[in-house]
Amino acid sequence: MRRTLVALAVLLAPTVPAAPARAPLPDHVPDPAAGELAFWLGGCASCHATPVDGKRARGEDKLLLGGGMDLPSPYGTFVVPNISPHEDGIGGWSMPEFVDAMQRGVAPDGRHYYPSFPYASYVKADVKDIMDLKAYLDTLPAVPGRSADHSLRFPWSVRRGIGMWKRRNLDASPVIEFDGQDPLLERGRALVEGLGHCGECHTPRRRFGGLETDRWLAWAPNPEGEGRIPNITPAGKNVRDWSAADIAYYLGSGFTPDFDTVGGSMVAVQENLARLPADDLQAIAAYLKAVPAVE
Amino acid sequence: MGFRKVLVAVSAAAIATLAVADDDPRHVRHELMEDVGDAARVLGGMLKGERPYDAEAAMASLKTWEDVSMRFGDLFPEGSESGEGTEAAPAIWEDRGGFNAALGDWQDAIAAAVAADAATLDEAKPLLGAAFQTCKGCHDTYRIADE
Ligand code: HEC
Ligand code: HEC
Ligand code: HEC
Repeated sequence: MRRTLVALAVLLAPTVPAAPARAPLPDHVPDPAAGELAFWLGGCASCHATPVDGKRARGEDKLLLGGGMDLPSPYGTFVVPNISPHEDGIGGWSMPEFVDAMQRGVAPDGRHYYPSFPYASYVKADVKDIMDLKAYLDTLPAVPGRSADHSLRFPWSVRRGIGMWKRRNLDASPVIEFDGQDPLLERGRALVEGLGHCGECHTPRRRFGGLETDRWLAWAPNPEGEGRIPNITPAGKNVRDWSAADIAYYLGSGFTPDFDTVGGSMVAVQENLARLPADDLQAIAAYLKAVPAVE
Repeated sequence: MGFRKVLVAVSAAAIATLAVADDDPRHVRHELMEDVGDAARVLGGMLKGERPYDAEAAMASLKTWEDVSMRFGDLFPEGSESGEGTEAAPAIWEDRGGFNAALGDWQDAIAAAVAADAATLDEAKPLLGAAFQTCKGCHDTYRIADE
């Protein structure tokens, strides 16, 4: 008993200093127009927009980021917080505080965020895009109201353990390295691995929730219940027959080459991606064609 | 029972099941949606630039959509909520008003495209685009995503 307690104490010891140290922010004038694209690519509204009548927000309601949506998980239920520019949200946060939350998973008061907030993907984004994103969020309506607390089971209810998780899983380096410096693939990688956080759904997880990067994008169980989230590497059952143009068309329009429609949790993702310029969708498609095929 | 009689009995039974299968709304609506999908491949191929725009073929496909859209609403009686691999979502029965509205949006979009009878792809594009959006509008809520 004693031993377990000691082990637990070690596990839960304060680990804030273990988070990678903050680098000074680059000299960059944040651009809210560029930040709007980062917002859609990042899917912030899919989690943070307040549900309307118990259903996911649509249209203009996606810009009301008052939080409140439940995110069920194997560890319990997370309740997504308010990130509107209101004092109940992130109103008054400084730029470094916002970048720390998005790329180090650390709150202004030093608490660790749970990785259900996909900062382990966002850490791979260019910090300038994160700065643009904040400039855009600051233009959205301020929504009052705080979300309820998460209801997680012990030991997940204790945040300090997350520091350990981060040491293993928080890594800004690319998942897939390509030979040469093809700008289209580099762009695609930044979009998919970073703000697009495609791996958070399409890649299976190890115990304790880290992504299994050697099975990158190779399918995962569906957290919403039945079925699987499909393999989108070149070995995927559907996408292996799709050209890069077909993939880009699917992401922009929501239609497969058979003109069947996108379904499940990909619907909201696709609606967001439809706001990106065509050459970004082509870059994503080129990247998906170039990653290792995993059966 | 002689061999003949058995055969007759068997084929009568077979015909009976066939007839039942054909009337089953779960089968009918599935098959009609497959026709809609076939027509969508023609129109979508033109939109996507995979095949040249052909006003006649476009109209024929729109007529298929129109025909199905007029019959589709009657194919969801009580008792056909599940079974036979149906992909119709429970929301159709829980919120018939919303389902009828989604169906109405589709009918309106088709009517607009039929009325325009577009001669060129540029004219057709916004109309077809709007009609394709209504497919998603309905599937999103009223169709279960397959695996
Ligand atoms: C998959 C769902 C999901 C997505 C997508 C998501 N978030 Fe979150 N976010 C969360 C959850 C859950 C938390 C709470 C984490 C915690 O309490 O540890 C959170 C917390 C935050 C916080 C900290 C808020 C606070 O009050 O401390 C910020 C800031 C934030 N998210 C910004 C964003 C932005 C910007 C995006 C889009 C680029 C985004 N999030 C996308 C789920 C998500
Ligand atoms: C919230 C979870 C989630 C995220 C995030 C996500 N996807 Fe998906 N994706 C899905 C699901 C679920 C499907 C299956 C859709 C269906 O059944 O129609 C899917 C399907 C796809 C398909 C079609 C595969 C097939 O076999 O039909 C492609 C391509 C795809 N996603 C690409 C992406 C890209 C690129 C990103 C990142 C920009 C991404 N996804 C992010 C959940 C997600
Ligand atoms: C009013 C609602 C509604 C509209 C509008 C609608 N559908 Fe459907 N669709 C359904 C339902 C419900 C199903 C599931 C049918 C079943 O399996 O019982 C379905 C199934 C399908 C299928 C799958 C058939 C199969 O083989 O499994 C395709 C393809 C399809 N729809 C294409 C389309 C296209 C293309 C459009 C627009 C041109 C469209 N649908 C418009 C409700 C709709």
